[in-house]
Amino acid sequence: MENKNNPLSPHLQIYSWHISSLLSITHRIVGVINIVAIIFICFWAILLSLGEPNYEFIQMFLQSFFGKFFIVFLSWSFSFHILNEIRHLAWDMGYGFDLKISQITGIITIFGSFILAILIYLFGRNII
Amino acid sequence: MVQFSLPQNSKILKGKYYKDKSGSNNLKKVNVYRWDPSNKENPRIDTFEVNMKECGPKVLDILFKIKNEIDPSLTFRRSCAHGVCGSCAMNVDGVNTLSCTKSHSDIKGNLNIYPLPHLKVVKDLVGDLTTLYKQYESVEPWLKTKVGEKTTKEIKQSQEDRAKLDGYYECILCACCSTACPSYWWNGDKYLGPAVLLQAYRWINDSRDEDKKERLKKVADELKLYRCHTIMNCTNSCPKGLNPAKAIASIKKMLATG
Repeated sequence: MENKNNPLSPHLQIYSWHISSLLSITHRIVGVINIVAIIFICFWAILLSLGEPNYEFIQMFLQSFFGKFFIVFLSWSFSFHILNEIRHLAWDMGYGFDLKISQITGIITIFGSFILAILIYLFGRNII
Repeated sequence: MVQFSLPQNSKILKGKYYKDKSGSNNLKKVNVYRWDPSNKENPRIDTFEVNMKECGPKVLDILFKIKNEIDPSLTFRRSCAHGVCGSCAMNVDGVNTLSCTKSHSDIKGNLNIYPLPHLKVVKDLVGDLTTLYKQYESVEPWLKTKVGEKTTKEIKQSQEDRAKLDGYYECILCACCSTACPSYWWNGDKYLGPAVLLQAYRWINDSRDEDKKERLKKVADELKLYRCHTIMNCTNSCPKGLNPAKAIASIKKMLATG
């Protein structure tokens, strides 16, 4: 059947979100952010090896509001990626495909990522 | 190709509003996707006020009521009307399902009905599934044996081996899962999609089939198989309660473990 000019039925515009699809796209976006962040961290390490003025500059950045936000956000994005990756590893081994189980692990991932991020932050500030 | 927005000729316009004439106090507003190939207009959403006092329990009953009593030009596929044939698959309230098994009382507020997502529309709620059927053909969904060529006797299967097909043989190929999959939306021409991969697994997993290695080799492709990213929209939408995501993962696992 020739139907080149027929319209395309709506997809993203109408499809409702599930926990699984939401986590899947978040996993991707967060993965890209993390890779960029890792590159930044590498530069940070190189700068540190170049001497004290660089250290002071970085210190100044990290103590600004934006710097703090950056650190807290990264604690979360790495936590999320690690937890969701564990989910993916279980899937690759063939476990956790049951609809209920995948929803539960999804919710655990969401809450777990925030808890882990807070723990990393507190640990970093020597509070625990 | 990833294209998030709809092409210009597919943008949805506001359509007609059909007011209820029965004077019932139990009305439901039903928004239905309409597209008529006989004129060159864009698709539109028509709104029907349906008298729920005299309507069957399923979404398909609503569609029939509209077609019989309000607008006879409304077009949709249906055949068995009890979830066996898979013809009436469509997007109801944001999720693909069979309209003949979906209760409209599950849906609060207005009811939105669209054709299966990311297909070329033939008319109204009918999408073109030609690509999917071609892909289905490509996995050769029939028993391949060497024994079968020599004998006319039944090829027996133990109960355990038969049980391995549970959860896979029930698939009715309604295409709810494939058209729910974002990966299939973006790479539908190359990625086989959940429905076809579940079928592929059904034949790979059949103890009587002697072509398992070839079948696995054929499907082991970066685009055909590995576009599955475990988004799970397929399993979430399957009206028969099957698990295409698990079938795909099983194929991946078989390939990885040899």
